[in-house]
Amino acid sequence: VQISLDVNGERYELEARADLRLLDLLRDELGLLGTKLACGEGACGACAVLLDGRAVPSCILLAAAADGHAVTTIEGIGRDRPTALQEAFVAEDALQCGFCTPGQIVTATALLARKGAPTREEIRAAMSGNLCRCGAYPKIERAILRAAGGGG
Amino acid sequence: MPRFVRSEVEMEGRFEEVWTLVDEDDDLEPWPDDPELALVGRPAPREDGLVRATGQARYTVDVVLPGMLHAAVLRSPRAHGRVVGLDLDAARKLPGVRAVMGPDTKLSLATDEPLLAGEPAYAGEAIAVLAADTPSQAAAAVATLDLELEALPHVVDRDDALNEQRFALEPTEEVRGDVDAALAAADVRIELELETPDHLQTPLEPHAAVASWEGGRLTAWIATQGMFSARDELAEAFGLPKAHVRVVTEFVGGGFGSKQGAGTEALLAAELARVTGRPVRLVNDRHAEQLDGGRRAWTRQSVRLGADRDGTLVAVDADAVVDQGRGGWVPPVLVPALALYRCEHARALVFPLQTNRRTQNAFRAPGVVEGTACFEQAVDELALALGLDPIELRTRNHVDVDQSSGMRYSSKRLLECYERAAELAGWADRERLREPQPDGLLRGLGCASQFWWGGGGPPSHATVRLDADARALVVTGIQDIGTGTFTTARIVAAEELGIPLPQVHVVGGDTAREVYGPVAGGSMTTPSVMPAVRSAAGRVRRALLQLAGDVLEIAPGDLVVGDGRIRSRDGAVDIPVTEVTGKLGDATIDGSGSRGPNPPGSRINTFGCQIAQVAVDPGLGDVIVERVVAVHDVGRVVNPLGASSQVEGGVIQGIAFALSEELVVDPTTGVPVNATLDDYKVPTIADTPEIVCDFVGVPDPGNPHVGAKGLGEPPIIPTAAAIANAFAHATGRRARALPLTRARVLEALR
Repeated sequence: VQISLDVNGERYELEARADLRLLDLLRDELGLLGTKLACGEGACGACAVLLDGRAVPSCILLAAAADGHAVTTIEGIGRDRPTALQEAFVAEDALQCGFCTPGQIVTATALLARKGAPTREEIRAAMSGNLCRCGAYPKIERAILRAAGGGG
Repeated sequence: MPRFVRSEVEMEGRFEEVWTLVDEDDDLEPWPDDPELALVGRPAPREDGLVRATGQARYTVDVVLPGMLHAAVLRSPRAHGRVVGLDLDAARKLPGVRAVMGPDTKLSLATDEPLLAGEPAYAGEAIAVLAADTPSQAAAAVATLDLELEALPHVVDRDDALNEQRFALEPTEEVRGDVDAALAAADVRIELELETPDHLQTPLEPHAAVASWEGGRLTAWIATQGMFSARDELAEAFGLPKAHVRVVTEFVGGGFGSKQGAGTEALLAAELARVTGRPVRLVNDRHAEQLDGGRRAWTRQSVRLGADRDGTLVAVDADAVVDQGRGGWVPPVLVPALALYRCEHARALVFPLQTNRRTQNAFRAPGVVEGTACFEQAVDELALALGLDPIELRTRNHVDVDQSSGMRYSSKRLLECYERAAELAGWADRERLREPQPDGLLRGLGCASQFWWGGGGPPSHATVRLDADARALVVTGIQDIGTGTFTTARIVAAEELGIPLPQVHVVGGDTAREVYGPVAGGSMTTPSVMPAVRSAAGRVRRALLQLAGDVLEIAPGDLVVGDGRIRSRDGAVDIPVTEVTGKLGDATIDGSGSRGPNPPGSRINTFGCQIAQVAVDPGLGDVIVERVVAVHDVGRVVNPLGASSQVEGGVIQGIAFALSEELVVDPTTGVPVNATLDDYKVPTIADTPEIVCDFVGVPDPGNPHVGAKGLGEPPIIPTAAAIANAFAHATGRRARALPLTRARVLEALR
């Protein structure tokens, strides 16, 4: 099928198989390797990308479904300079192995765009679809609070 | 001059005498306490944090090479069977398929166990592998292999295995004293039985490897915790000199013990790459990872304790049935029972069962998590029977000697851990928690002790190179699986060199640098590697001061370096380091360091205490962990920020072991039913309680140069026992098995 979409602000016109996942389009066709595959069934959030600003799992979304939409991957977040959220993740040590981190940042970016100053409960609700096997959760919560507090 | 020394090395409690190469003796002074140090003991974020937070970190699954093929594996759909039909030729005819291998294919490499099973003995065991131009071609080809598997009888039920006396290895017994007599004579006796679950490591980056041959030399990118053991394994399997195999392990998406050596992934990828002449990538999909990535062994343990009225422990009698799967090594399940408290009469019996499950392998503190979960509940039962406070009982039976060897611990500050944890958790008011609560929940507080090794030892090496800009490159042989170990090395090197942290860069993750480091396991990286890093940096510092002395015409002994400046002791000279290094041009000041042996005659172990507060919903059977206090004695803490991350991560995995994670197998088919992330309940941020973390922080005199002990394992060890003890405190009941699911909780409360 013919797919026309916007990825990190750039326009792409592609011919792809109808069963191609958005994740594979990003990783294999566009070489955007920051988005990770970990479960393949939308259960862990490692593959989260922004679709028109909403965080979605790209492993259970067909590439064709992104036709006409704007996709932002981790590479599109803080491209010129790291965002306050990314800096907060580093400062708070909100990552260990880092494999889930792109998905965490993408989901938290969507949360902060929706709610400038989320409460702990709102953070825990919004981030509960992003698994972190290393258990960086307490610091992910702190990093989001820190970023929301003006990047301080 | 380097020399060989014979010394005892330890890995997860297994001791062995080896020859190790050490450089000439260092004359490094022991570091003073943290407040007198510039960088050690102060929180520092990871050097590579931003690379990870911006999605630029490249893991093995991200390696893309020109012409690279994609492998796919056919796995057994049954717990036990015999391959009677497999159409490799059908797959070979498909477009894009470049190589297909089955159990009967003659492979060029030698391994102890066949890599492809003709008689698979567990669900998920690899039967065939192929490589194709694209992942979808590979997946399609696997579907055409037309596997016919004759079903053979399987045993996954542990009672069946016990009744049939199916032992993977001989049962073992370790005894001291006269346990039966001591138990019979004890004033108070208790008995407790507990089952612990099959627990899956579940790293989010699955096991993966990419292999590529060039001119008879092999390069393998492997998601592994031990790149040097992977290299040696590949060299041996393919009959190559070690120098002809390079293993690259830059970023690893978690391991937790499961990613040891080359793994079948790298061996198969290398063989496929050899046969096809093209690079090959092999990545487990999630289902394969949960079936075959690894497993903490299920156990059934029983513990009988006897004590005198005053709380003196007089007898420990413990046994454990351990589901090994096919075989492997036996995890040290009963070490906590033998080691945690002073007791003259102790016996530990271990029965390693053989079943049609994947062979058990390492998962963060293997054995000791399971053993502590049971033994520390038994200790609480004993406290209850004696009418003693659980921490008081533990304190009364404190021991400073390793009772199996008779050696003293080089340091043991467990009593301070109890005291601090009790204070942080509000232990003194614990009975008040049991008063009726407005929310109708039952609350309680429970504690547990932690015992682990973590002293590290040789061999381990490091090289430090200081350039004209006074920037240091620290070359190590370690791989960072997420622990922040490079940042720890950065702090140690910067401290010793006397230059600011940002001027130090640490590398590892590549065997081609020929600087050896140990496997990331057993809580041994910090205590093994950091002394070598300090030693190498110390040599560079001395050389720098020597050169400064040449330039300044001052005796090097009258100079010191700190904070990027060289100063004379009399204060007359105070210049930036670059004023000396700037004269190097493109030369560098190099130093290498190695890890010397631990002092003989003592044992280095880590200790700790955790206290959990739980709330139990007696209607629903929910157990909510509200707070965990974790205080550990791991010697000097080099980076408190990274250390607290390790503790939080360990505690969260321990909570999951206590409450939610369990591989469930259908007894009829022998096949796991929840080998997916949807059904295997890894904790989320919403399940995470407040975690309060503290360290004793006193350097261990047994660890050369640094005084640090390991921290990877300790924090997961006591969590489940503390939660189960808090549950018992809240409800007066104990469940017979972990995890404390609703069903088990409601059964316990009935």
